[in-house]
Amino acid sequence: MRKTITDESLRLLINSLIKEGTRVVAPKKAGAMTLYAPLAAGDELTLDSLPRRSAKEAFFPLCENILAYRKDKDGVKIKDIDPASFPETVLVGARPCDAAAPAILDAVFSWDYHDEFFLERRRKTTIVGLACTVADDACFCPAVGLSPSDTTGSDLFLTPLTGGGYACEAVTGKGEALLAGHSRLFEEREAVQPLPPAEPQQEKLDLARIKEWLDGHFEDPLWEEIASRCAGCGACAFLCPACHCFDIVDEGTEGKGVRRKNWDACGFSKFTNHASGHNPRDLQNKRYRNRIMHKFKYYHDKFGQTLCTGCGRCVRGCPVGIDIRAVLEKINERG
Amino acid sequence: MSTNHDMTAIPLPATVIELRKLSDDTTLFRLRLDDAIAARRLKVIPGQFVQLSVPAGGEVPISLAALPGEDGALELCVRRVGHVTALLHTLAPGAGVAIRGPYGNGFPVTDWRGKNVLLLAGGLGIAPLRSLLHFLLRHRSDFGEITLMYGAREPAAILFKEELSELSGRRDMHLFLTVDFVSEEPPGGLVCHTGLLPGLLSGVNFTTENTVAALCGPPALYRCVVEELQGFGFPADSIFLSLERRMKCGVGLCCHCAIGELFCCTDGPVFRYADLRGVEGAL
Repeated sequence: MRKTITDESLRLLINSLIKEGTRVVAPKKAGAMTLYAPLAAGDELTLDSLPRRSAKEAFFPLCENILAYRKDKDGVKIKDIDPASFPETVLVGARPCDAAAPAILDAVFSWDYHDEFFLERRRKTTIVGLACTVADDACFCPAVGLSPSDTTGSDLFLTPLTGGGYACEAVTGKGEALLAGHSRLFEEREAVQPLPPAEPQQEKLDLARIKEWLDGHFEDPLWEEIASRCAGCGACAFLCPACHCFDIVDEGTEGKGVRRKNWDACGFSKFTNHASGHNPRDLQNKRYRNRIMHKFKYYHDKFGQTLCTGCGRCVRGCPVGIDIRAVLEKINERG
Repeated sequence: MSTNHDMTAIPLPATVIELRKLSDDTTLFRLRLDDAIAARRLKVIPGQFVQLSVPAGGEVPISLAALPGEDGALELCVRRVGHVTALLHTLAPGAGVAIRGPYGNGFPVTDWRGKNVLLLAGGLGIAPLRSLLHFLLRHRSDFGEITLMYGAREPAAILFKEELSELSGRRDMHLFLTVDFVSEEPPGGLVCHTGLLPGLLSGVNFTTENTVAALCGPPALYRCVVEELQGFGFPADSIFLSLERRMKCGVGLCCHCAIGELFCCTDGPVFRYADLRGVEGAL
């Protein structure tokens, strides 16, 4: 017997969760784009395409206030933001490349300092993953060890069925709880026929071989060759489910304001720039090198994981057409 | 989660109690935390830094230029170079700011007991080394010979002139000063060489046996001073460098200060040269 849910019941489930006070984040139309965003109703769910940005913003918003300050005659007063106030959340329709990413980021957000802004959202979020039945020519999850039907990172996993609806597989206790709490919306079916999974046209990359080359080639003519056209726009980092660097800026006046944690990108020329004008990464190819090194060497050295889930967004979004797969293949050839 | 007195999680309000102009563009800020309990609990290792913020400006990482004073005051040496430091330079005593930290490892002073210590400062690099020197002098009998070599661009750019004048009269340490060029007489009767720090290093006598070197200065200084020190026979694990990077979060998350897989804010800012040799892009 397999648990299944119809498309209509999935939308009813979303309505029911919202009614209970749960925040539901899922792909929805935002003008010409699809984005992961809080839904007001199940009708808004849009599962026909990969959202423009990844689902990481359900845990790590593009921009969030981390404190507020106020200054009066008695001095400066600082008001902390309490992560305990974050709502219970269900992330619905996360593609395998997006569902796998938050678990990779757990390592950095808890390795020493515990970033409760991220970790509390992780604790309070149930991820409902969705298998991909269509891939485009930028998708490359198999190259980094995932697949269009990989359940890594999902709590509950949906597989689209022939004739509509989804097979539902509880992957974790959180997923089981979601099923149990709304059992009337799910059906038990004896025979189900899943739609065939998508088949991204991508060979598996030898990540160990790539890392081995990176270990010994911090200085190499290749960096200039592949990154000379990088415009430093940061689009790749902003679209990436695994990039996680951020900036801390104050916005306000002398009297009052907020401190914000904003996404940032190591590709920006000012990312490492000192006020004195000294810049440890003074050239764009050094910044691009850091991007590749961080994803395929440093993060692996430190946490044993790769900072890439093969979603292909950086390939689709790069304005100068840098294809990370071609970069990795070049490295692989040299390795 | 943050507790009331955990300064690494959220900044604590502080008040500017004194400003001391050290040069045209550099001022020593003496601050006191508004929360007396937090001020009392504050433990500082020489070489650590804090994130100092000013309303309407934002945060800036600044080395602690001294150990907390008996009055609980913190001393930060701030050069006017960017928008936050420019705003800081407009403040008057009584102004409200905020501090979080201290962050970073600081100098491993407990490992240095019984050793001679050579401090090498270039320009504003004197700030973290001043807190180190204060520590060494406070625990004078724990250490061997103490030598401070300090280079500045010109006589007017020498920071802490009065203190240096006092230090030059001490018999329990050696002080050598140098300036890149001389356009005027060094003030306060300070004896001053002319030339760059590596030149000073090769021109004066100091003990190299059982000696650790602590270096902080502008980025261009490190390679040539390290080379000079190695020429004198300093092993790579006896050379300690305090590096400058653009620290933002201070807690090893945001990646702004990454040096390879190391974070300057949590793995540093003080690194053994032996640990940086394999880390390309570090110096």
